[in-house]
Amino acid sequence: MWACIFERMFYLTSVHPKNVKAAMDHWNAREDHGSWYAHQVRERMISVVSQGLDKRVEIIQTCVALCPLLGLLGTVTGMIEVFSSMSDTGAGSARTMASGVAKATVPTMAGMVAAISGVAVAAYFKRKAAAEREELGEHLELADWEGH
Amino acid sequence: MKTSNTNILKKLGLSAAAAVLSVSLAMPAFAAQSVNLDQLLQLVRQGEAQDRSENQQRLAEFRANRNQQANLLKQVQSQQAAAEAESNRLNRQFEVNDQEIIDLNQKLDERLGDLKELFGVLQQAAGDTKANFDSSITSPQFPEREAYMADIMTKMGQTSKFASMSEIEQLWAEMMNEMIQSGKVAKFTAPVTLTDGSTQDKTVTRFGTFNVVADGKYLKMSNDRTNYIELPRQPQSRFSSKVGGAESASSGLSPLAVDITRGGILETYTKRPTLIEKVKEGKEVGYVIIGLGIIGVLLAIWRFLALMGTSAAVSRQVKNTDKPGNNPLGRVLKVYKESDDANTETLELRLSEAVLKETPKLNRMLSFLKIIAVVAPLLGLLGTVTGMINTFQAIQLYGTGDPKLMAGGISQALVTTVLGLCVAIPMVFLHSIVASKAKGVSEVITQQAAGMIAERAEQTS
Repeated sequence: MWACIFERMFYLTSVHPKNVKAAMDHWNAREDHGSWYAHQVRERMISVVSQGLDKRVEIIQTCVALCPLLGLLGTVTGMIEVFSSMSDTGAGSARTMASGVAKATVPTMAGMVAAISGVAVAAYFKRKAAAEREELGEHLELADWEGH
Repeated sequence: MKTSNTNILKKLGLSAAAAVLSVSLAMPAFAAQSVNLDQLLQLVRQGEAQDRSENQQRLAEFRANRNQQANLLKQVQSQQAAAEAESNRLNRQFEVNDQEIIDLNQKLDERLGDLKELFGVLQQAAGDTKANFDSSITSPQFPEREAYMADIMTKMGQTSKFASMSEIEQLWAEMMNEMIQSGKVAKFTAPVTLTDGSTQDKTVTRFGTFNVVADGKYLKMSNDRTNYIELPRQPQSRFSSKVGGAESASSGLSPLAVDITRGGILETYTKRPTLIEKVKEGKEVGYVIIGLGIIGVLLAIWRFLALMGTSAAVSRQVKNTDKPGNNPLGRVLKVYKESDDANTETLELRLSEAVLKETPKLNRMLSFLKIIAVVAPLLGLLGTVTGMINTFQAIQLYGTGDPKLMAGGISQALVTTVLGLCVAIPMVFLHSIVASKAKGVSEVITQQAAGMIAERAEQTS
């Protein structure tokens, strides 16, 4: 997850500006800024750039959703261990059982920590992608067109 | 003889008459059939006369026997006197013997002296040692020890026999031997009962008094302490994999998992369920979850491969917009090709119609994958809850006397939750991969197709 996050950061800081610049050059090279065709071309350029922005954000969000689930899985298997060893040894003291349960809850906590750390970042990337898209739309100015 | 016969007959007649009389009394309706009362009276009188004569006969006999009776009494009395005399004699004898026993015991005590305490200690030590040997896995290695211990214990238990000096010394030697053996890794041949029930002589390796192994497998001692039994289930591979190495090692150090409880922990491992058995504990709910998981994975793989093919075709199409092929983007481009003469508004409508046709195909089965990812943990929870209900019902029936019952039930119930999570986690992941693929392709056709067409139109015009 964090590998994806760092990759996104790199993309935002170094690759994305190049893409924006290329799109703007392409747009400014055009003479026609107002016809239906121009509209569609502009739409397409914005879409291509924003597709690059949205890449892997999905994966990060999935990881955020998965972390607590994985933690829960670890906890449940730990609980099974605790109870099956209890059924082996008979009346285990409450102390040993409590320590087993405490150990079993660690994965859930770890999963939560990982998820929380990812939530903020994922949200930031989503916002950033939307903002960049808007900005690019503003950069690629349209002339008036009577068709619409 | 004859008289008695007739007598019996008469009596029978009388009783019959009496019976008939009673019947006639009970049922006056039959009075006409009743026996003549005069005859009955006669019968009674005859009987009385008979009894009288019998009595007189008995009296006569008794008088004749009276003299004989006196003789018999005398005989019996003399017998009684003789028996009493004998009894007195034996009583006196008994007292004398009693005294003698006391004297002899005193003598024995005097002669034993300190030895008495010694034998007490010896008996206790022998008992403790026997208990130790009985639980020790060295027993099958020294079969003669068993017989010796049994012998010395019986001797210790009686007061009539004492253990000889050599036997006492042997006990000490055996204890010493056990001590030495507990620090040794010994190889020897012993009968081993395998899991299929057959018994073979095998070279076994004994590590101290902790574990016995043969052919890379842990063994336990049989109850009669004459042979070893292969454990019905070996512990996990991380423990049992080292056995072979330790067995074949002749010197130096080699790792081995040693059960310091002398078999207790290994015994519990044999009761632990394997992974397959654990999954089976999930019962029907578990199978449903596994089935859903398999279906979901297959669907995800199919959709993923299909979308990979589609996206590859689409990206080829992006580079070559002139020849619309048989892929989503190609079909959209084809719509444009077929409506060359239309104005831009009609073209846009037609294009959006074509795009609308394409997107559902791309998003096929995605919602089903999502549903599986959501439903699997819920099913797991269902299985767990029903399992818990069963567990608590069992507790309600049998009381909470046995925590093993409860803990075992809970750990079984939790299996379905594990299965549900095991299915849900990959499903969420697969869904997100497939969904992002589908989204990429559909974005190309919804937002970029028109742009491509526009660019092409500008180039051609």
